[in-house]
Amino acid sequence: MSVRTPSASDSADKGGGTRPAGTDGSATDALLRLGRYLTRSTTSADLRAVYRTGGRDGDAFYRDRWSHDKVVPSTHGVNCTGSCRWKVYVSDGIITWESQDPDYPSIGPDKPEYEPRGCPRGASFSWYSYSPTRVRFPYARGVLVEMYREARRIHHDPVAAWASVVDDPHKRGVYHRARGKGGLVRVSWDEAAEMVAAAHVHAIATHGPDRVAGFSPIPAMSLVSHAVGARFMALIGAPMLSFYDWYADLPVASPQVFGDQTDVPESADWWDAAYLMMWGSNVPVTRTPDAHWMVEARYRGQKVVVVSPDYADNTKFADEWLAPHPGTDAALAMAMGHVVLTEFFVRREVDYFTDYARQFTDLPFLVTLAERPEGLVPAKFLTAADLGPEAAGKAAEWKTVLIDAVTDQPVVPNGSIGFRWNAEDEGRWNLDLGEVVPRLSLHGDQRHEPVEVLLPRFDAPDGAAGVLRRGVPARRIGEHLVTTVFDLLLAQYGVRRAGLPGVWPTGYDDASQPCTPAWQQEITSVPADRVARIAREFASTAEESRGRCMILMGAGTNHWFHSDTVYRSFLALLTLTGCQGRNGGGWAHYVGQEKVRPLTGHATLASALDWVRPPRHMIGTAYWYLHTDQWRYDSMRNDALLSPLATGALAGTSAADALAVSARLGWMPSYPTFDRNPLDLVAEAEAAGTDPVEHVVEQLRTGQLGFACEDPDDPRNWPRVLTVWRSNLLGSSAKGHEYFLRHLLGTDANLRATEAPPDRRPRTTKWHERAPEGKLDLLLAMDYRMTSTTLFADVVLPAATWYEKHDLSSTDMHPFVHSFNAAVDPPWQTRTDFDAFHTIARRFSELAEDHLGVRRDLVATPMTHDTPGETAQPHGVVRDWRLGQADPVPGRTMPVLTVVERDYPAVAAKLATLGPLLDAVGTTTKGITYDVSEELAWLAAKNGVAASGPAAGRPLINTDIRAADALLALSGTTNGHLAAQGFRSLERRVGQPLAHLATENEGRRVAFADTRAQPAAVTTSPEWSGSETGGRRYSAFVINVEHRKPWHTLTGRQHFFLDHDWMHELGEALPVYRPPLDMHRLFGEPRLGPAGREVTVRYLTPHSKWSIHSTYQDNLIMLSLSRGGQTIWISPGDAEAIGVGDNDWIEAVNRNGVVVARAIVSHRMPTGTVFMYHAQDRAVNVPRSEATGKRGGTHNSLTKLLMKPTHLIGGYAQLSFGFNYLGPTGNQRDEITVIRRRSQEVSY
Amino acid sequence: MTTSLDLLLWGAAPYAAIALLVGGGVWRYRYDRFGWTSRSSQLHESTLLRIGSPLFHFGLLLVIGGHVLGLLVPKNLTELLGVTEDNYHLVSLGMGSIAGLAALTGLAILLWRRLRVPAVRNASLRSDRIAYPVLALAMLAGLTTTVLDNGLRGGYDYRETISPWFRGILLLHPQPELMAHVPLDYKLHVVLGMTLFALWPFSRLVHAFSAPVHYLLRPYVVYRRREPGRVGNRATRRGWEPVDR
Repeated sequence: MSVRTPSASDSADKGGGTRPAGTDGSATDALLRLGRYLTRSTTSADLRAVYRTGGRDGDAFYRDRWSHDKVVPSTHGVNCTGSCRWKVYVSDGIITWESQDPDYPSIGPDKPEYEPRGCPRGASFSWYSYSPTRVRFPYARGVLVEMYREARRIHHDPVAAWASVVDDPHKRGVYHRARGKGGLVRVSWDEAAEMVAAAHVHAIATHGPDRVAGFSPIPAMSLVSHAVGARFMALIGAPMLSFYDWYADLPVASPQVFGDQTDVPESADWWDAAYLMMWGSNVPVTRTPDAHWMVEARYRGQKVVVVSPDYADNTKFADEWLAPHPGTDAALAMAMGHVVLTEFFVRREVDYFTDYARQFTDLPFLVTLAERPEGLVPAKFLTAADLGPEAAGKAAEWKTVLIDAVTDQPVVPNGSIGFRWNAEDEGRWNLDLGEVVPRLSLHGDQRHEPVEVLLPRFDAPDGAAGVLRRGVPARRIGEHLVTTVFDLLLAQYGVRRAGLPGVWPTGYDDASQPCTPAWQQEITSVPADRVARIAREFASTAEESRGRCMILMGAGTNHWFHSDTVYRSFLALLTLTGCQGRNGGGWAHYVGQEKVRPLTGHATLASALDWVRPPRHMIGTAYWYLHTDQWRYDSMRNDALLSPLATGALAGTSAADALAVSARLGWMPSYPTFDRNPLDLVAEAEAAGTDPVEHVVEQLRTGQLGFACEDPDDPRNWPRVLTVWRSNLLGSSAKGHEYFLRHLLGTDANLRATEAPPDRRPRTTKWHERAPEGKLDLLLAMDYRMTSTTLFADVVLPAATWYEKHDLSSTDMHPFVHSFNAAVDPPWQTRTDFDAFHTIARRFSELAEDHLGVRRDLVATPMTHDTPGETAQPHGVVRDWRLGQADPVPGRTMPVLTVVERDYPAVAAKLATLGPLLDAVGTTTKGITYDVSEELAWLAAKNGVAASGPAAGRPLINTDIRAADALLALSGTTNGHLAAQGFRSLERRVGQPLAHLATENEGRRVAFADTRAQPAAVTTSPEWSGSETGGRRYSAFVINVEHRKPWHTLTGRQHFFLDHDWMHELGEALPVYRPPLDMHRLFGEPRLGPAGREVTVRYLTPHSKWSIHSTYQDNLIMLSLSRGGQTIWISPGDAEAIGVGDNDWIEAVNRNGVVVARAIVSHRMPTGTVFMYHAQDRAVNVPRSEATGKRGGTHNSLTKLLMKPTHLIGGYAQLSFGFNYLGPTGNQRDEITVIRRRSQEVSY
Repeated sequence: MTTSLDLLLWGAAPYAAIALLVGGGVWRYRYDRFGWTSRSSQLHESTLLRIGSPLFHFGLLLVIGGHVLGLLVPKNLTELLGVTEDNYHLVSLGMGSIAGLAALTGLAILLWRRLRVPAVRNASLRSDRIAYPVLALAMLAGLTTTVLDNGLRGGYDYRETISPWFRGILLLHPQPELMAHVPLDYKLHVVLGMTLFALWPFSRLVHAFSAPVHYLLRPYVVYRRREPGRVGNRATRRGWEPVDR
C-alpha cells in the first residue's frame, strides 16, 4: 500500500480554499441536491449527513455477538512474566473470549499506570479451551495399558502387576519404543491413578524415593498448582528438579555478585531511569505489557541505548543502536568499564561513586597476593584470622578486612558473613562503617610497594588463554602481601596509574591490550569512539542523577556458556556508578525471572516444610546431563576452560568429574544420591544397630557405598518415575532433545553424535560399554493440550486450563498478587492440578499401606545458602575427603545427612493439611524465622481442621482456595503482621532500624478473595531486598543501600572479586571477557562460514514474537499471525550463499540432531547468525528430514548441555546451593549448525 | 396442438418460477437479511475481478435492456414508430451479439477465477455450484439463439411467438401453444432462464435487487434515530410492551 504525500500541485489544486470543505466536487453536490428530493429524510445543509428514523434492527446482531452471561477475572499461567489480569467472558456456559482487565490500583499521580496489561498472545488463549489439541480425557500408552491389564488379571495387586510389566526387559522395550509414536488410548481416571500410584510405590520400594522426580517450573505463574505437586513429591521424598538454572535463565552472576537469586525493579521503575540500556533483552517482544514504560520514559528525557546483534524490535525505540557480534557483549562492557574507571575514578574522582564503592562494594577489601614461580597472582580475601590471634573473634575466617584511611590500619568492618550466624555478633551484621573511611586503593598509601601481578586473558578468537602483566600497589600485613580489590580491578581493566609496573595500554586507541575501546572494536565491531562516548554518558548521567542508570539485560546475553562473565561485566558498570539499590537504576534482568512474591508461604507448602524437612531439591541441568547420557558424548575437558595461571586441580577432568566433586563435597545436591535405596540404607544401619549417618559416612569412606552420579548408567541409579506438570519439558527446555529421546525415553532419535573417545571420558564416572536406552518406568504428563511432552508420555492426565481453576499469580514486573479463577468448571474429564495430585495421593496412600508403610529415609543435602551451612569451607579452599585432604564430616566437608520419617500411608492426609512442624519451629526464609502460630489459628478457624486420620486437628488446605489462603497468610509480602515480625527479627541481627518499613501495613492481610476482587499490592517484606513503603516503586537492594543491611555475600557487599579456588582455576576471580565457545576446536564442527552448498552459522534460539514458549504457537490465531510452522531466520548473505529463497525448506544439521524448517530470509539478521525461535513445538508442521529420514526435531534438537565447573561451587558464602539460586546453567547459545537447502518436496 | 409437456413447461413452470422468485425473496429478506449480499471476493483476488466483473455486469445490463425491448415492447409498437423488422433484426443481432459476448467473456473470467484461484474457490458457496452453471448455460443458450438463429441461419422473429407468450404470462393469460414450435435453443434458453429466476432468491444473485444505486444520491453520513415508542434495539416481544400509565 502506498501513502500519497501532499505535494505543491495538491495545494494548487485546492485553489486556496475557494470550494467549501466537505463533498468532492460540483458533480457530487448536484447529485446530493437531487437526492434531497427523493427522500423524506432530512438532509443537512452542507449535504454531508442524512437523518433517518428506525432501521436499526441490524444492531441486534452486533449486540448479540458481544453479549455474555458473566465476566470472571483470571490470568495466564504460561511461564511468562506478564502476570496480566484478564477478564474472561462466559456466554451460555462456554468461555468465549477475554479482554484486558484495567482494574489495577493506581501507582500515583505522577506516573503512567499499570493498566491495562496483556498482549496478543494472551488475548488468543481462550482458543485452547475447546481446541482440537485439548486433552479431554486421561490417556495412556496403548501397549502399556494392554500389558498392564493383562498383568492385572494375573496379579490382583496393582503394584505387583506394574512391576511385572516394567521389570520385564521385553515388555519394557515394547512400550519405551512406542513413546512418541501415537497410540495413546483413553483410560478412566481410576485406572490412570492406579497405574501412576503403583509406579510410584514400586519405584520407592525397589529403588528409593530419590529415583522419583517432579518437574514443574516457575511457581509464580500458578503458585497453588505448583505447590500441590511439589508438596506431594516432598512428602514421598522425591526430588523436585530446578528450572531457573536449567533454563539458563538464572544469571549465575547474581548469586556471585549479590548473593541473591535475582531481584530486579518492577517495570514502573523504568520510568524513573534517566539512562536506559537494553542489552540482549527485546522488551517489546518479551515484555510486551511493560514495554510502554520504556516508550513513555523517553518523554521524560530518558535516553535509550539498545545493544543487539540483530535489528531486534526494540532497536526502533532506541536513540542509539550498538550491534556487537553475538556473544561478545562482555568485551563491550569491559571497554565501557575501562572508560568509566579511567575518567571517573583515576583522572577525576567522583564523590558519589567513591562513597558508594567504599560502603556497598568489596572494592576496598584486601586480597592476598600469592607467590608462584611465574610471579604474583591474586589469591584470597584477607580475613580477621590473618590479623593474628588478638583480632580473631568468632568466625574470624569469615570476616574480611580493609584499611581505614584515617588510621591507616587494617580494620574488620561489620557486615561480612562472619557477623551473620553467631550469637556473639548479633547486631553487627550491617554496613555501618562508623568512623572508618575505607581506603579504596593503596596507591596513595605511603607504605605501598608497586608489584607486578599476573592476570589471565582469554580474548583470542578461539578462546585460548594468555597472561597479562600489570602492576598494583601492595602492602605487607603480617606475613601477607596484600592489595585491594579496587587496585586489582584497575589492573584487570588496564587502567594505568603512575609508578606501577607492567604492560599497559597506551590509550583508548591501543587495540593490543585489554580492555580499551579499540581492543573491543576488534572483537565486537562496535566503533571505539561510540563505546567511549556512551560509557561517558552513562557514568556522567549516573553522577548527576545519583545512580539512575539502568541496564535491562536478557536472554541474548544470559544464555551463553560464559554468561556469568558477561553479566559480571555489566554489573561492574552499574556498581561502579552507584546505580544498584536506587530507584531508576541498577540491573534489570528479565529472563524467566518470575518472582514468587508470597515466598515463604509458597516455600512452606511446596516443600511440605510443615511435615518433614529437609526436602530434596535437585539441580536440573546436572540431572538431565547425567540421566539423558549427554555426559557420554561430552568430549570437552575442563582444560579448555582453564586459566593459564591455574594450579591444575581441574586438569584432565570433565564436567561429570566436577559434578562428582560437587556432590561429594556437599556443594550441590545430587539425586539419586547413593547407589542404594536410601530407605534400605537406614534399615541396614538399624539392623546393625548403628547410627544411619555414621553408617553411611563409614560406607562412603570405605567405598562400599558409592555416589549414584558416579555411575548414572547402572539400572539401580536410573530415575524411574518422572512427573511433568505446568510444563512442556520436551518441546521447550530440553537442551539435548535427541539425547532425551534416546537415553531417557528409549525411543527413536535423530542423534548423530558419537560418544567421547576413551581418553576424553570422565575419570571418575563409571563407563558402561553400552549406554542404556529407556530409563524411565513412567513419564507422567499433566496438560490441557497435546504437546511434545504429552506425545512422549506414558500417562497423560487432562488438566484444567487457566480459566478453569483457582490459583495465584505474581511477578516482578508489577507489585501485585492476583488470582486465577474458574470461569467455568473443568470441562469433559479434566481436573485441576490440585485435584489430580490429590487423586494420585489418595490412591498412592492406599497402595502404600501394604507395600511401604512407615519408613525412615536418609536425605543428603548440600550446604545451603542463607543458612549457617554456607560457612562450611573457609576461603573457598577445596579439600576433598576422598583424596585424604580432609575428614568426611557431614555438613562440613560432605553433604548434610538427615534421617527423616516417611509415613507413606499418611501422604494423602498430610497433603491436605498443614503439619505440626510449623507450631514447633515456625518457617524460615533467607535466614529469618517466622513464628506463624497466629496464622495457623486463623487458618484453622477459616478453613477448618481435619476431623480424623493421621492429620486430625490440623488446619485444612484441601481445596485450591484454602491452599491459596494458607500460602498468602504465611508470607510477609501478603501478610503485614509477618513482614513486621520478620523485620523485627532482622533488626536484632543487623542492629539497624528496619521495622518501620512494614509497620504501615502491619494490620493488612491479603486473602484469596482480595486477590480476586482486584490485584492486591504487596507489602515491603524482608523476603525481598527492595521497598514499596510509602507507595514507592520497587527497586532491588534499596533496603541494603538505604538501611545498611548487608548483601548475603562473603563481605556483605556487592562482589567484584570471587576468591574460591575454582574461580581462580578458570581465571574468573575478576570480571573478564571470554568469547563464545569454539565449537570447531572443541567438537569438530565445521568452521563458521559458507562451504559449497552449506553454510555454518551461529545458532541462537531467542524468544518468539508469536508465542510464549510453546504455548500459543500451536494456536490457530498465532499460527496465522506467524508463518504457521517451524521457521529459521537467516540473513540475506547466508541465504544467497546456499541458494535459499524466502520460505524455502531448509535443514539445520549438527552432531546433536536435525531440524527441518522454512527459511525466513530477513535483513534483520546479521550474516553468520541464524535464529530459530524458542520452543516451536514439534506438534505442528514438522516433516521428515533428509539427513535421517525421521521427523525433524525441535529447536533443541541441535543443542546439547555443557556444564561450567564454577557453577557447581558450594559451601562458600554466596557460592552455596539454593534451589534455583545456584547451579549449572543449561546454556545453549554457543552452539553452531550447518544450514542447507533441502528438497522442496516434504513428506510427513 | 399443445402436449402436456408444453403445458407444464410453458403454462405451469413460469408461475412456479415466479412463485419461487417472489416467495423465496420474501423469505430470504425476512430470515437472512444479513446474508443478502453479493459475497464479494475482492479481498481474495482483485486483478481478474477488475476486468471480469465490469465486463460481465455491464454486458449483462445491455443484455437485460435487449430483453426488455424484445419481450415487453410489442412488435406493432416498434413498427408504429417506424422500426422495420429488418432494422430491428440488425440492431438486435449487432447489439445482442456484442453485449452477450461481453457478458459471457466476463463470466468466463469470473468462472475461471472462481475455480482456479484457491482463496476464491474456498470462499465459494454450495449454491454457487448450481447458480454459476445455470447462469453460464442460460447465457450460452441465449447467445446461441442470437448468433445461430438470428445470425447465421438468417433470422427468427421471436417477437411473433416468445414475446407474446411472455407478456401472456405476466397478464395471467398463458398461451403455451405459442411456444410449441419455437426452435429448440430458444426453448432451452427459456427453461434455463426460468430456472435462474427460481434460484435467484437462494443464491448470491439476490444482490441484483440491492445494487446500491442510491449511494449516488445519498450523503455519506447516515444518522438513525431510534424508532419512537421502542425500547432497546429489538422489536418488542408480545407481552413485553411498555405499560402506559
